[in-house]
Amino acid sequence: MPEATLRTLSDPGRAGPASRLSRLAPVHWLALAFLAAALGFAAVAWATGNGFYLRLATEALIFAGLAMSVDLLLGYTGLLSLGQALYFGLGAYVSALVLRDVAPSFWLAMAAALLAGGVAGLIGGVIANRVKGVYFALITFGLAQVAAKTVYNTRALGASDGLIGIPQIRVGFGPFSLDTADPLSFFLLVLGLTVAAYAGLSYLMDAPFGRTLAAIRANEKRVPFLGFNAWRYKLAVYVLAACVAALAGALYPMLRGFVSPELMFFETSGNAVITVIVGGVGTLVGPVVGSLLLTALRSVVGSWTEHHLIVVGVIFMLSVIFLRKGLVGALLARLNRRGEQGRTAP
Amino acid sequence: MAELIDYLQFVLAPQALNGLSLGVAVVLMALGLTIIFGLLDVINMAHGEFYAVGAFLALTLAGLGVGFWALLVLVPLLMLPIGWLAERWLIARVFHSRDRHILTLLLTFGLGMIMEDLLKLVYGPNTQRPENPIEGGTEILGMFLPNYRLFLIGFGLALIAAVWLVVFRTGLGAMVRAAAFDKDMASSLGVPVRRVYAGTFAFGVALAGLSGVLLAPIYSVFPTMGRDFILMAFTVVIVGGMGSIQGAVVAGLLLTQVQALSSLYISPVWSDPLVFGIMVLVLMVRPQGLFGRLGHA
Repeated sequence: MPEATLRTLSDPGRAGPASRLSRLAPVHWLALAFLAAALGFAAVAWATGNGFYLRLATEALIFAGLAMSVDLLLGYTGLLSLGQALYFGLGAYVSALVLRDVAPSFWLAMAAALLAGGVAGLIGGVIANRVKGVYFALITFGLAQVAAKTVYNTRALGASDGLIGIPQIRVGFGPFSLDTADPLSFFLLVLGLTVAAYAGLSYLMDAPFGRTLAAIRANEKRVPFLGFNAWRYKLAVYVLAACVAALAGALYPMLRGFVSPELMFFETSGNAVITVIVGGVGTLVGPVVGSLLLTALRSVVGSWTEHHLIVVGVIFMLSVIFLRKGLVGALLARLNRRGEQGRTAP
Repeated sequence: MAELIDYLQFVLAPQALNGLSLGVAVVLMALGLTIIFGLLDVINMAHGEFYAVGAFLALTLAGLGVGFWALLVLVPLLMLPIGWLAERWLIARVFHSRDRHILTLLLTFGLGMIMEDLLKLVYGPNTQRPENPIEGGTEILGMFLPNYRLFLIGFGLALIAAVWLVVFRTGLGAMVRAAAFDKDMASSLGVPVRRVYAGTFAFGVALAGLSGVLLAPIYSVFPTMGRDFILMAFTVVIVGGMGSIQGAVVAGLLLTQVQALSSLYISPVWSDPLVFGIMVLVLMVRPQGLFGRLGHA
């Protein structure tokens, strides 16, 4: 058989370990470049003593965690969740309750939020995964609405006012500790957690687990013929996404000192979807980049008009129509094309 | 016994009638949604905003001196081109891609967001209350009912019947149903499928606008007015069966009665979670809803 045929038969994208590494590189390079930019931003903001922008950037990173969890479902598995704010809000409320009423411990709050997110994700996942396609989107939407309205009407959870007076805490790492009241330390902590989430999730998405999810996204009917139980994988990724969202939510009361039912409303879920689409579906960096860009945009546009939704909406619709893989996807496509030209040219 | 009759007459019946006037309104909204889904497979997230646009158009035209009866004709006619263009420029663009369910949902979501903010920009965020076009009330069986609500129930039921007639008893409706059942076959039999798509979307949008005109005198007019209403309409469409006309009617009347009567016994703030709970249950047990889809029954 001629060599050319062989090469086309074996998937050209996965010819060997070396080329696989170079194929994967761009997205991780992008993540590293982003990390460097974030650290540079932190240094500048610290030097100028600008706590406001540090807090704003921290909030953007927290919502990036929520967007990442949407990306796990939408970008990797092809499931559109319109109710991811349910788990984000749950994490925020659990964390707020633990910090206020149990103990001002960062690790306890995170663990409680993780546990709550996992359990709620399991229940929600069993319900939502009974259906497919648009029905999945609508059932997640309905679940979040039920939860949000319940919280909104529950006096013990502060009803429409939410919970206020969440104490500032010290976060201990063995001999070191940092204060959530200090904008720079808390920004660095959240940045570190975001990087860890990115690294862990992108590793998982490249592992057999993530490959199976990609197979489900490509053609769910064929997956059982390969010996995989698609339902179990979809449930697992749903629970994983719920945990990620809950952990991101748990950070929110540490930043703002309060939680409100708005965190569970459709606006929050919808914003996460917008962030993922604008940033880049199925890249995990995309949600982070998207969240920071949209936060910056809202803050800039919001300074001269309150009608930033028009701008965000137009960008969002243009992304849906013209940039199916978002900003990061478009950037990666360029980088990949240049890489291929570089390989074939000599 | 007398107590029971009193209870029925003075507690249950007024509540049921109020529920009926809301129910008719919800059915009008849900009809547009369900027809659009039945034919195009599109979840129109902007439906609530089209409803708001209808209400604001009515407000503006009324300010220019147009009478209420003329509005009932004029506003839907003005909404038709808006719906047509939305379908041609947005939905049709992504209609042939593999993820079109998700993409069209996202596009209409974005469109709704922009429309809502545009309404805020043009009219300001404040609530406006149009004049009640039909003053006074009527006493029926010892209950006092505002005339406008009676008119709404009557007009709404007539409109629902008209939509049913158009879809099931005219050549135009047959084309729509044929396209919903098998668009390729319909196309080869000479049905202009693309125009049917755009026309149906425009028709659904016009229905939403008309609901806006009808409900503005009851529920006042503000840019986010579509939001609360759209959730109910979605629930109705899901429970009735997405794409089913009789499903939307039955579920719409049923769910609003559940909401109206349950608020007698539990705090009305819990009626929303109750209705959404029903929606989630139906999605779990019978995701296709109570009735079959347009063109498939």
